[in-house]
Amino acid sequence: MIKVDNLYKNFGKNNILNGISTTVEKGEVVAIIGPSGSGKSTFLRCLNLLEVPTSGTITINGQNITDKQANIASIRQHIGMVFQHFHLFPHMTVLDNITFAPMQVKGLSKEAASAKAMELLEKVGLADKANSYPAKLSGGQKQRVAIARSLAMEPDIMLFDEPTSALDPEMVKEVLNVIKDLADSGMTMLIVTHEMKFAREAADTIYFLDNGLLLEKATPEQFFNQPQTERAVRFLEQIL
Amino acid sequence: MVKQLRTKWLAISMLFVILFSFLIGTTPSTYASNVSDKRVIVMGTSPDYPPFENTDALGSGEIIGLDIDIAKHIANELGYELEIVSIDFGGLITALQTGRIDFVMSGMSATEERKQSVDFSTPYYFARNTIVSKAENNYETLESLSNMKVGAQLGSIQEQVAESVPNVGEVKKLNKIADLIQEINANRISAAIVEDAVAIEMTNANSHLVANYLPTDTLDNGYAIAFPKGSNLVQPFNQILSEMEKDGTLQRITNEWFPEVKQADEKRTGLNIDFSVLKGYVPYILEGVGVTLLFTLVSAALGLVLGSILSLFKISNIKPLKWFATAYTSVFRGTPLLVQLTLIYYATPQLTGYDIPALLAAGLAFGLNSAAYLSETIRAGIMAVDKGQTEAAIALGVPYRKMMFRIILPQALKNILPALVNECVALVKESSLVSVIGVADLMRRADIVRANTFTSFEVLLLVAAIYYVLVLALTSVAHQLERRLRRGD
Repeated sequence: MIKVDNLYKNFGKNNILNGISTTVEKGEVVAIIGPSGSGKSTFLRCLNLLEVPTSGTITINGQNITDKQANIASIRQHIGMVFQHFHLFPHMTVLDNITFAPMQVKGLSKEAASAKAMELLEKVGLADKANSYPAKLSGGQKQRVAIARSLAMEPDIMLFDEPTSALDPEMVKEVLNVIKDLADSGMTMLIVTHEMKFAREAADTIYFLDNGLLLEKATPEQFFNQPQTERAVRFLEQIL
Repeated sequence: MVKQLRTKWLAISMLFVILFSFLIGTTPSTYASNVSDKRVIVMGTSPDYPPFENTDALGSGEIIGLDIDIAKHIANELGYELEIVSIDFGGLITALQTGRIDFVMSGMSATEERKQSVDFSTPYYFARNTIVSKAENNYETLESLSNMKVGAQLGSIQEQVAESVPNVGEVKKLNKIADLIQEINANRISAAIVEDAVAIEMTNANSHLVANYLPTDTLDNGYAIAFPKGSNLVQPFNQILSEMEKDGTLQRITNEWFPEVKQADEKRTGLNIDFSVLKGYVPYILEGVGVTLLFTLVSAALGLVLGSILSLFKISNIKPLKWFATAYTSVFRGTPLLVQLTLIYYATPQLTGYDIPALLAAGLAFGLNSAAYLSETIRAGIMAVDKGQTEAAIALGVPYRKMMFRIILPQALKNILPALVNECVALVKESSLVSVIGVADLMRRADIVRANTFTSFEVLLLVAAIYYVLVLALTSVAHQLERRLRRGD
């Protein structure tokens, strides 16, 4: 489903990604972990071209998205993204936040978009907040709305960039539960996270990044019990 | 939206045409001759000079006076339909030269200086120069004004008479007769030199002033009708004038308009405010509120739309758009608004043949100018919107235009609402500038009433109060809007 080949990304003289190659299968749930500055977020952001790779190719559903001819906007419609800081549109109600893109981008009718939005809000447990403004929601609620907003575009792939890092500890679980439900439903997902317990339970595959390199790619079992590299051992020692 | 965009492009292209044509030199006007083909003849006048011309603010609101009656008579004799345009005295010659009007009758003396730029008819009225001063001073001769400050109306023949006072202390030139009276009252000038008819009205309205006629001298060339150089109207006009003089029509009209000298009543000293002089004028002044509001609305809307587009140009990655927006801001911020206003109003008909209405010219000038300032404010507002908003919209596949207009700009506008209100308040008050090109806004109407009543404070206090109420109302609307926009917070 996703094929990454020899991906490099520089910001000026800083080399953030130093040649990453991997393949993600349909329905696979990938947890990306690693120390700060290892390139986790940049890697994720390259997948929907929020960052433009310096070199290398990314192929999604057989389409080379790094090709200059590629229609980026249409590719992005198939890739949902959830941010650390939610980025809900503050001047719209929860319902409008969710229906905006389906109506404006896909041309759905207001009724169809609203029906879909209510269904998603039901799923993330926030149907009663449909007419609230984002400022009235807690962090955990905002993030669940953000997830619903992404899902409203019916993406094939979901990217999560540290979805619980900005949350108060008691809010983390409600968001992780939603993500886990989504994982169980067969969605292809890549999640940058610091929640090791969650990564262990929800992910099919763990990517361990350091210094812009994909150092380890393993099942949670393997990675957490028998990390292969010394860097991963040290990392796990520090956080567990 | 589409309509506003079209207006914008119209404005921009018009601007380019104007700027470009200044580079290649101006083309001669065909406007006035077009008009005379239709047998309509356009006269320019500055209606603040009773009894020659003033606005009948108590009655029809039309321009009336001695000059008007003579002009009507001549136009009628020659088979023209007369159209009268109100223009500030200082702008009359320009309007003639640019072909906006066919002739001028505005109590204008045929001076040598003016003869270099326009052609004159034979004089139809000889005025006597008159010294107006406080009764207790009662200056009778030019010699008695030595070493004193003397006032005269800017651009009038009496300006030169004032200069001819031996050893004159200073000649103060003011736009309005009403201003001269205030200056005498405030003792900033010792006397004003005006012509007889005006002097009579001045002393009638202000009983503490006295008028003393000066002997007719060579400086006074008499009032005449001004035409553009080489106009073929001079000859037929002179013909009719001489007939009118022969059959007594001229004398009859003159007698009709000259006021009787009232007997001086109670002495008026100090700042004596009496709002009863405004009686009857208030409805006329209030009509200006609509004009001022309409004008503010048009220019604010144009400024906001154009300013938003310019700010998008400024943050765009396309270099020429960026350069254009930067140059635009630089030019419109770097030149006086009054200059832009005058250029647009006078240059447009010459360059395009389109006789731009004064109100549209004013809305355009203020809108274009305001856009330059607003584009910077809006740019700041856009920069202040969290970058994550852009990323979230991009990630959802929202196209750039929709992202800007539906996600980024609404938030930016909310951020800068207080600054926008400031701009609108400034527009309401600056709108008083449009009186220069004769738009009958609040300030223009106030000036007209001042000219008619020969009193200043009452009218000025009234319009100040009206402006204040307008601004208060605007602020309160903005407050409501802000509350509405902040309901999400």
